[in-house]
Order: sequence, then C-alpha cells, then structure tokens
Amino acid sequence: MIAAPGPGFALARDEDEGAVARTRIAVRGLAKRFNASGREFVAVDDVSFEVKQGEFVALLGPSGCGKSTILNMVAGLLPRSGGRILIDEDTVETGKVNPRVGYVFQRDTLFPWRTVEQNIGYGLEIAGLPRSERAGRVASAVEKAGLSGFAQSFPRMLSGGMRQRVALMRTLILEPEILLMDEPFGALDTHTKLEMHKTLLEIWERERQTVLFVTHDLGEALTLASRIILLSARPGRLREDFDVAIPRPRDPVAVRETAEFGRLYSHIWHSLGEEFRRTRAD
Amino acid sequence: MSNSRSAVLFWQVAILVVVLVVWQWGFEWSKALLPKAYVPKILDPYFVAKPSLIWQSFLRLGCFADSAGFAACINGNDNNLWLATLVTLKNTWWGFLFGSASGIAAGLVLGRSDFLARVFGPYVVALNSIPRIALVPLVILIFGLGDLSKIATAWLVVFFVVFFNTFEGTRAVDRDQIAAARLLGASEFTVLRTVVIPSALAWVFASLLPAVSFALIGVIVGEFIGAERGIGKLIIEAEAHANASEMMVAIFVMMFVGILLAIAVRSLQSYLLRWQPQFEPSA
Ligand SMILES: Nc1ncnc2c1ncn2[C@@H]1O[C@H](COP(=O)(O)OP(=O)(O)OP(=O)(O)O)[C@@H](O)[C@H]1O
Ligand SMILES: [Mg+2]
Repeated sequence: MIAAPGPGFALARDEDEGAVARTRIAVRGLAKRFNASGREFVAVDDVSFEVKQGEFVALLGPSGCGKSTILNMVAGLLPRSGGRILIDEDTVETGKVNPRVGYVFQRDTLFPWRTVEQNIGYGLEIAGLPRSERAGRVASAVEKAGLSGFAQSFPRMLSGGMRQRVALMRTLILEPEILLMDEPFGALDTHTKLEMHKTLLEIWERERQTVLFVTHDLGEALTLASRIILLSARPGRLREDFDVAIPRPRDPVAVRETAEFGRLYSHIWHSLGEEFRRTRAD
Repeated sequence: MSNSRSAVLFWQVAILVVVLVVWQWGFEWSKALLPKAYVPKILDPYFVAKPSLIWQSFLRLGCFADSAGFAACINGNDNNLWLATLVTLKNTWWGFLFGSASGIAAGLVLGRSDFLARVFGPYVVALNSIPRIALVPLVILIFGLGDLSKIATAWLVVFFVVFFNTFEGTRAVDRDQIAAARLLGASEFTVLRTVVIPSALAWVFASLLPAVSFALIGVIVGEFIGAERGIGKLIIEAEAHANASEMMVAIFVMMFVGILLAIAVRSLQSYLLRWQPQFEPSA
C-alpha cells in the first residue's frame, strides 16, 4: 500500500530503522446509521482503512458523504452503529477521551471569554500544571502561531486565520501523537489557507505526528497528505486509496508545479467528479 | 463629539429644572391663572408634595435639622431614615444574593440534565405562574415580621427570573465548545466550570439587573404588608399621616438605593463579560 520510500518520504525514518511502521488507527467495517424523522438513514457504510505511525492521511470526499461522522467516531465523540475502531490496539470507547489524540474542529470552537494565551494554555491549565511551568510553553506556542503581539487579545479581535492558528496550537501544545483534523481551514480564503498549509507542513515535518485530515478540497489533500483515502458520495464508502509521492519538505505553492501533483490531480479529480455527480443526482 | 455631549447634558439639566419648577410652583401659578375647573389636581402638593417641602422632610427625617443633634435624633428613633434604608438595603442584598445563587445553581443543574429538566419542567412552569406578590402574606405568616420574611419575599421574586435565564443560557452553550474542552482533557466538572458557566454568564447577567430591582420591590412590598422597620414601613406610616412629602423622601431614597445596586451589578458585569464587544473597555 505504501510507495517505495524516496528521500524525505514520510516513513523513511521508520524504514531506515528496519522496523515496519506500527498501525496507529485501524478502522474496520465502520458503519453509522442515523434516525432521521423515523426513517433510518445510512451515513457511513462498511468503511475500513488503517493509518500508520507518522503518516499524513487525507480523508477526501464530497460534502455530506460522512467525513466528519467518521472522524467523530474515531475521536470517540459519536457512537458507531457497526464495526470497530482501534487506536494503538485499544478499541475506541464513546465518551472516553484518549490523551494521545488531538482534535481540530471544522467550526471555530475557541473559548471567546479566554484570551489567546488562555485558550492555548487551556489543556495545560486544566491538567493542573502550575502557572510558572505553563508560561514558557504557552509563550513559545503563541510565538509559533505567529501571534506574539496578540497574547492578551480575545478571539473576536482576531482574523479567521489567526483564530484557526490559535485552535491548532491549543491542540498541539498537549503534544498529541495522533492528530484528527476536520476541514480546519475550510472557512479561510485561498491566501490564508496557503499560509496555514505552510505552518502545518512545517510543524508536521518537524514532529511527524500521525494525522488523519478531513477535507473536500483536492488541492489541499495533495499539498499536505502522504496518502489520500477517497470516499464515495452518500452513504460514505471507501472508493480508492492513493499514495502521494511528492517529495518533502513541500512548499504549498511550489508543490502545485510538480508533475506528480498534476498527474494525481487529474486522476483523482475524475473519480471525485463522479462522486459529486452522484451527490447531485440524489 | 463634545458638542453633542454638551447638548445632551444641556437638555438633561433643562428637563430637570422644568420638572422641579413646575412641581414647586405649578399648582400656585395655575390656581392664579386658570379657572378652577382647569387647575391640574396632579400638581396639588397635598398629593405630590413639592421639592422644598420634600427637602425639609428629608432634613428632618435624616436627623440633620434636629435641635438635639444628629446622634441623639438617630438614637431616639428606631426607624429613622438611615436605619430604615440600611435595613431595606440589607434585606434586598441578602434576598438578591440567595435568590440569584439558588437560581443559578438550579438553572445549571436542570440545564445540564435532560432527565431532571423533564421531571421538574411542569412544576417550574406551575410555580412560576403564581403571581409572587400573592404569596407575600403567606411568607409573613410563616417567617414573622422581621428581616427573614423580607429576605424570603425577595428570594421568591429573584429566584425564577435568574433560574430561567441560567437554564436557557446553559442550554445555549455551544456543543462543539464542550466537545473541544473534553478532547483537551476536561472532566464533566471542569467542563461546567470552564465552559458552561462562562458561556452562560451573559444570560445570567441579563437577568441579574432586573433581579436587583425585583428584590427591592419584594422587600418593599413585604414591608408594606408587615414589618417593624424599613423604608416600606416608613412609607406606610407617612401614608397614615397623609404626609406626601415624607413619602416622597422615602421614594427618592429608594431610587438612589436602586441606582447604586444597579451600578454595582453593572460594573461586575462589564468586568466578567469584558470579552464581549459591548463591554469592551472604551479606549
Ligand atoms: N446527528 C445527525 N442526525 C442525522 N443525520 C446526520 C447527523 N449528523 C450528520 N448527519 C448526516 O450524515 C451525513 C454525513 O454528514 P457529515 O457531517 O459527516 O458530512 P461531511 O462529509 O463532513 O460533510 P461536509 O464536508 O459538508 O462537512 C449528512 O448527510 C448529514 O446530513
Ligand atoms: Mg464535515
């Protein structure tokens, strides 16, 4: 399933060490049915995939195909109707939070009554870390987010891009090994989005978290991911699985000029187009 | 900017002066100028007193004009203006505090539990449809003529107002914010403390301002119906002597008490809700 590791490829380190990358997320025969006004409605149907240590996997599919639903079940936010989800060989229990897993929402979920600094430090604060020990880590996270002048600002004073950087840092400061992201940049304009891609790529190329990234934007998936899982239109089923062998480090603008980007783009676009047409035909 | 501000101030002062002048001399002037049938009764000092008389009553009730001196006058009358104000203020404060604290607590509990909300829902609606003032005689029967019955009355009027707002506020908390807090490691209690309460606070405060006035109304009504001390008692006594100016003194004192309490709540509100745009400290 994994392409031959080239220079700078995501799994190069693991392979160098001679170990086969460990499976961090395993989804097996996952299903979700909703009860919409008495009638049963299948949102996700028999989805299986795996995400290995250090992989950056994009979950791509047309709007409404069940991407958020899948991610929420992986995070344990939503009970599943069938199938299994394992994180590091442990079955995910609904309502039980796994401290190794971080989650970034599709919607803005910053706490508006907390300053940037207090939002970023939230996880450390409620974990009972004393203020003196928090301060340094929070300050460096604020700087990493490029928000040095805004530590004391409330979220409403920030632009959408700045808010999303705060949300990202609020999650990353807890150093999750597994990162679940639900269209975190979906609400941003193209320029801000590219900047966020740059930030995320820098962080990921340094820290190599295991990432499951939901998006309906093919360009975004190709820019960021090492692998793309394409879902079908409603009900969400697995359609295809692509490796993205674009070398790293990647630049979100330059990456678009590579032959691999172009090739995959038109190839996946074709499949995605069929799914979009099916969505509309419904 | 300063131009329009001074214009506002000018009109505010002008209105005050006109009202005071008409109140003070309007009745005499209209009696001298108009046929008897057209003289406005509403200006009759017998009913509404007049500013100069009110000022004199204030000096007398407030022990500023007593030949025996301030201290002796205060000690000689156990429902003097200052003590009465203090008693009413104190009972208002405790009634407001207990009423809003229990209203907030009940609102949070029912707001966070669908089960309890459904069990207690009909009872809350039923109790809330009783006009609270109708219960005052009962409260006095139970708690007596002292402070306790006034605090209980204020509690009754405050509780439901604060309860309903806290309940709605708790219901309106963004579910994704709660999920975000959970995913960042928050326990059920931490979610309540760090997400639900701050988020519902805007709703709570929207009810606290009217709740202060309601507490004051509750205490005064309690004092009307049966009390040993307090501003309400002072008003009832003045009514018994048909003394309009003393009533007016009590009414003005209440007005100031009400303003002070409202300012206190408002400044707490603008501090705690400073993250909201309308409470942003102006530059
Ligand atoms: N709580 C719910 N009750 C009923 N139906 C739901 C519920 N949540 C989601 N759905 C339905 O399930 C389907 C998948 O929803 P989901 O939010 O997972 O889509 P998505 O792929 O994330 O879409 P988008 O890209 O627009 O965010 C949709 O058709 C939606 O209407
Ligand atoms: Mg979604």
